[in-house]
Amino acid sequence: MLKLFKEIRKTGSATLGYPFSPIEMPSGFRGKPEHNEKLCIACSACAIACPANAITMELDPDQNFITWDISYGRCIFCGRCQEVCPLFAIELTTDFELAVMNKDDLRESCSYPVARCSKCGKPYASAKEVDYSRRVLESVGGPAAADIKKVDLCLDCRRFDDAEAFAHQAPDRKEA
Amino acid sequence: MLENDFPNALQWHPDPIVLDAKVAEAKQKLLNSIKRSIYVFRVDCGGCNGCEIEIFSTITAVFDAERFGIKVVPSPRHADLLIYTGAMTRSMREPALRAYNAAPDPKIVMSYGACGCTGGIFHDNYCVWGGTDPILPVDVYVPGCPPSPPSTIYGFATALGILDQKLHASHNVAPADEQVPIAFPAIPYKVRVAFEREARRMSGYYYGKQIVDEFMLTLTKDTKDALKAADSLIASETDTRKRAVFMDLKALLMSKVVDE
Ligand code: SF4
Ligand code: SF4
Ligand code: SF4
Repeated sequence: MLKLFKEIRKTGSATLGYPFSPIEMPSGFRGKPEHNEKLCIACSACAIACPANAITMELDPDQNFITWDISYGRCIFCGRCQEVCPLFAIELTTDFELAVMNKDDLRESCSYPVARCSKCGKPYASAKEVDYSRRVLESVGGPAAADIKKVDLCLDCRRFDDAEAFAHQAPDRKEA
Repeated sequence: MLENDFPNALQWHPDPIVLDAKVAEAKQKLLNSIKRSIYVFRVDCGGCNGCEIEIFSTITAVFDAERFGIKVVPSPRHADLLIYTGAMTRSMREPALRAYNAAPDPKIVMSYGACGCTGGIFHDNYCVWGGTDPILPVDVYVPGCPPSPPSTIYGFATALGILDQKLHASHNVAPADEQVPIAFPAIPYKVRVAFEREARRMSGYYYGKQIVDEFMLTLTKDTKDALKAADSLIASETDTRKRAVFMDLKALLMSKVVDE
């Protein structure tokens, strides 16, 4: 009997102190995705990649803002958003203390102003993203930056523009 | 999704149980006065079993929820707190209600896991109700897929009012004309794309990104001799798999170097 007690004393307790003492999660633990609103360009890559649709992007009814929204209640902590983000704007942390009493507290959102097409005036992307792509194209230079002005156009107008340019290149029918 | 394609008036929606005032008052009293020693009954409403495993690891020796008197009981009739896991499949609605009605009032309902909170990865499946709250009044939501044992303990502590919740709803509006600096401006864009492709090809989506970011950060930090920085990164890496990827990336870098 005494031997048993000695053994127990020697082994000690395996139980962790949490919640009375803090617990260190191992690095690589996939916890709460932290969104850095300043770095985010609202490009929607994370919203497209998110398998659980925890991240959504929606255009406001008055079409002036696009809203990035995350629901931690739907997130499955897969890290896809972190992987696709071009700017380190969303990264998984080791924060695991996410329980809430009120479901609305699981949501975080941020609205970004949208850019409007310089031709037809339709909103087509967030202004930050357009600005960022313009600067990236400038830094690449060469043929990629040749039609840099077209970043101001929406997809439809760009297609229209391309078709027009193509028509100008094509040999004139009457001459042929 | 069915909800979007089918007229709402023709769809049947489950009516969530509404607490009557007296029970709600008793429940508030219970929530205020109960500090520990709650009995927990677990209802699996169509999860993948990941959540169940984490609940059981919460009551093992390492996390030992029983030191607070939190005990998993085999019948809802003994329970103070009901844990609902899973996305609430259509066929589990009835058993979920039976468990709820069998537990004595006042009782606390916990939505456990991403599935329980909102439906999680299964939220747009045709055969689920999308979480616990379309059916039952939920008191505490514990997100995670599955929630780790510490977050389960945190969930219990939040439900009992021992710890305060950390998350709060937030909505911000970004100022207009905010600019973001270009990531890795020192590395030519095309080289960066080549690096990222190669790293993902070598080690998959999540770790590939982390490895290539570490590599590119090292390259840009040393403005004088990037190749030496890459060499010292390779030399200091102890994980042989990671070192192989770094070496591969450096070979790629060498192939891009042009002598002037
Ligand atoms: S971790 Fe996965 S589920 Fe969670 S927000 Fe990111 S992509 Fe979506
Ligand atoms: S991928 Fe990154 S930059 Fe793009 S919207 Fe998501 S968080 Fe923002
Ligand atoms: S939340 Fe994740 S682990 Fe839990 S039941 Fe759902 S899919 Fe499984």
